[in-house]
Amino acid sequence: MDAVGNVAQQFGVYWPNLIAQVVLFAIVYLVLKRYAFKPVIAMLEERRRRIEEGQLNAENIKKQLAAAEAKYQEILSKANTEAQRLLDEVRASGDRLAEQKQQEAVAAAEQISLKAKEAMTLERDRLMEEMKRELGRLVVDTTTRVTGKVLTPEDHQRINEETAREVAA
Amino acid sequence: MESRFLLAAEQLTVTPNPLVPKAGWITNSMLVTVIVTILVVIWARRSTAKMSLIPSGIQNLFEAIVETLYLTFEGIVGKHMISRVFSLLGTLFIFILAANWFGLVPGVGTIGFGVPSNIPLSLKDVSAPLLRPANADLNMTLGMALFFMAWWVFWTVQEVGVIGFLKENFAPKGGLKGFLWYALLPLFLFVGVIEMISIAIRPVSLSFRLFGNMYAGETLLHTMSDLGVSLPVPVNWLCSILFPLPFYFLELLVGLLQAFVFAMLCAVYIKLSTEHQEGEAAH
Repeated sequence: MDAVGNVAQQFGVYWPNLIAQVVLFAIVYLVLKRYAFKPVIAMLEERRRRIEEGQLNAENIKKQLAAAEAKYQEILSKANTEAQRLLDEVRASGDRLAEQKQQEAVAAAEQISLKAKEAMTLERDRLMEEMKRELGRLVVDTTTRVTGKVLTPEDHQRINEETAREVAA
Repeated sequence: MESRFLLAAEQLTVTPNPLVPKAGWITNSMLVTVIVTILVVIWARRSTAKMSLIPSGIQNLFEAIVETLYLTFEGIVGKHMISRVFSLLGTLFIFILAANWFGLVPGVGTIGFGVPSNIPLSLKDVSAPLLRPANADLNMTLGMALFFMAWWVFWTVQEVGVIGFLKENFAPKGGLKGFLWYALLPLFLFVGVIEMISIAIRPVSLSFRLFGNMYAGETLLHTMSDLGVSLPVPVNWLCSILFPLPFYFLELLVGLLQAFVFAMLCAVYIKLSTEHQEGEAAH
């Protein structure tokens, strides 16, 4: 212990000096701990927490964006399918309508043709009847002029019938 | 010239000089300690008085230093210890660095009391400097080392307990059992005793390393300043500025390095005594 005491004395180490220096250092330690390191570490922690929070938010936003993108693609795909279905339906409906209209037109044309035929037949019959009558009258006139005799109603009747028979044949 | 070197070296005595005759414990190194304490406290308080989430100016510098130290020490002592030990390790680094660099301020060690010279307001030799670098006083370095060791004992006991500490240092390790355990017990007990001596020497090695470096640095600067003292008046003034100038840069580096070494060694000592607890907790 004497040796230690001698060494301490040689280097000027004395209890009062040592204690005074320790007290001074303890004051620095306590002040820095309470008023410097504590708020700075709290601030660093707060900053670290905010950065982590920001990163987490960014990740969440990224996920939400990906989900929104997927949903958008899904909706787009569904809309495309629906549009295609509607287009097909419209196309099919158009074809059906066109066919229906065509059939209606054909029917109408047939109807018109039929009516025209009927009218033509009636006209032909009327004209035939008129022609028969005219021919009968011409034949009677001609016969009267050629023969110079006055024809009786019976003759008229007979000539007309014969002429009509001949024309019809 | 040789006697002048000796005279220059003798300007800074190993022991600090008392400033007040009736209170011998108030020394020139303590005055510097008080000044450094005040400066460090003012700087820290100004840096943290109006803290904002986006730092700027003085807050930015202080935060950068604290964050760098925090991450460095966290890498050594581990996440479980850093919140408890950082304040002391950070204070040790900042205080030692401030004290070391303050010792380089012109006037420290060169303004004081001694035999007056012919030139007004100057001395032939400064026998009792008014200001002495704080860490060029063994009381200061030993005080810091003892303060740290007291906390080291507290944290070690808190972390591993007295039994755990003794087992860690004296009991056979490596999962030994049976005969081998008993056979190797004397060897481990001997290693434990050596370890205890090593721990007891830690404050001595910590304090003498820092004291030796700072005292040697200050002596070197004094020697360089007095190198051209025998030359004529304007030349010797110029020499007293130019000769020590390169060594000021060296001392800036030594001051930083010694502060770092002191704080890092303290961090390593904490890690050595608390790391096994972390390993066991992990299992």
